[in-house]
Amino acid sequence: MSPSVSSATISNVVGSEPDETALSTHATPAHIVARGLAVDFKVEGRRQRVFNDINLTVPKGSFVSLIGPSGCGKSTLLKVMAGLITPTEGEMRVAGITPQQAVKRRLIGLVFQDATLLPWKNALENAAFLLLSADESIKRGEAMDRAASMLRLVDLAGAEKKMPTQLSGGMRQRVAIARALTLDPEVLLMDEPFGALDAITREEMSSGLLDIWERTHKTVVFVTHSIDEAVFLSREVHVMGASPARIIETLPIGVPHPRTEESYADPAFMSAESRLRGLLIEGHRRSPK
Amino acid sequence: MMHLKTSASGEPMTLARLWQRLDRIRSPLILAGGVVLFWEAVIRLFKVPTFVLPAPTVIVTALVAHRRELAIATQATALEVLFGFLMSALVGVAVALIIVRFERFGRALYPLVVLFQNVPKVALAPIFILWFGYGLAPKILLIVVIAFFPIAIDMLAGLQSVEPSFVSLMRSVGASQSKIMLKVRIPHSLPHLFAGLKVAVTFSVIGAIVGEFAGATKGLGYLIEFASTQLDTPQIFAALLVVSVLGLAFYYVVEYVERWLVPWAPKFDPVHTAG
Repeated sequence: MSPSVSSATISNVVGSEPDETALSTHATPAHIVARGLAVDFKVEGRRQRVFNDINLTVPKGSFVSLIGPSGCGKSTLLKVMAGLITPTEGEMRVAGITPQQAVKRRLIGLVFQDATLLPWKNALENAAFLLLSADESIKRGEAMDRAASMLRLVDLAGAEKKMPTQLSGGMRQRVAIARALTLDPEVLLMDEPFGALDAITREEMSSGLLDIWERTHKTVVFVTHSIDEAVFLSREVHVMGASPARIIETLPIGVPHPRTEESYADPAFMSAESRLRGLLIEGHRRSPK
Repeated sequence: MMHLKTSASGEPMTLARLWQRLDRIRSPLILAGGVVLFWEAVIRLFKVPTFVLPAPTVIVTALVAHRRELAIATQATALEVLFGFLMSALVGVAVALIIVRFERFGRALYPLVVLFQNVPKVALAPIFILWFGYGLAPKILLIVVIAFFPIAIDMLAGLQSVEPSFVSLMRSVGASQSKIMLKVRIPHSLPHLFAGLKVAVTFSVIGAIVGEFAGATKGLGYLIEFASTQLDTPQIFAALLVVSVLGLAFYYVVEYVERWLVPWAPKFDPVHTAG
């Protein structure tokens, strides 16, 4: 993939002029668009603004990360995409429709930091559970077949009958990913999905996820704290800052695909990593304490 | 060695083998045996009068002598406990579901339920006798007012303690509130419900005995009341022993049902604490 620069796809940025970082790395139609997004929360009866005037474009089939300190609103932004939070101002479009409509059409798959598997169901039943809950008309057998093939995709063939307590943290998270994929969504929204895993498992899971993304080409939005993870996985990283919560910069990641363990030593990887680190440190210094 | 019976594998079941099988209850049995021996020794040594505190051997003698009355009384009390407990479960679960399902009404109802919990239930027994006579109904009612509360509270905690991310997940596929309730909240609450049921089942036995104290023509509570007017302390203790065993039996029935219905529940080990 050559990093062709197209001015047609604007992906960025609050209050700053579009520079080269504001441009997407490839010209594909936008899949998720946020315009002038603001969200208020009620905290003890007082309205509080989580973030203001967020603009963001995620191209179809891209892998995009949101990175930033705690409290920068990245999880809230993901929840707005998932239709779980209605924005106070501005608009969010997923595949051209509102997130709520997208939910009804089952375009969205969600994965959280906690696998949240039902302890009374085995891996296969857990993987099929959301599809069965979402679609009344689907036959149980068909849902199970789809779930089983997704479990194979996440490398869990043979663990179908295992109960959640019998699975390791990484395996549980694989089931959660399989559960989202069983819905066959267009968009996969992941909120720090590997945040609770140890370093080695994390890297394994990252490679696995990249592999799945390359095969399915779903649009992925990935929230993370980890710079490594963001660079390794993404085509584009949106760096967010806290107080006020905003998108500081959008960084295209030019590390060539397919990415492997060697990618960590790639010069493009290292430069992106240090650039991200710089932006995060700068954002951290600037935010009032 | 003495041959008791033949085990499934065809090997002869010896006493020693049986003793090994009883691994889990072996140490409680030894402890109980020690306490009983000590009790017997103290009574004999200090010549404590039987009407004050009978020796274990005297209690066992009374148990055998009164076995017919005790059996009939046990039947009556067990029936009260069974019906009372089942009604408590029904009421407790209903209260929890209503509080969660109808939020506004729940907010109004919950403080009243807690307030009612602070009414001394024992004091209600004479009123229930006044309203419903000496039959089964006042006992069941008394058990319900005593035992529904832990069921309602634990069930409520179970319904509310579903991880928010799971509710988000269900909402992200457009599942309705009632579907989330049916497929996630209620199954999730079952281990909590059973914790409440176990407390409630022991409360139910207490409720039945209190109900019988207040006014009854049969039952173990009635038997204890009657024996105390006769100063027949051994019979009181015999009846108390039966009450305890009855309560224990009910408790383990609930636990057995739990294991069968909620095999995935985290195992409760009363001794091992975390860490």
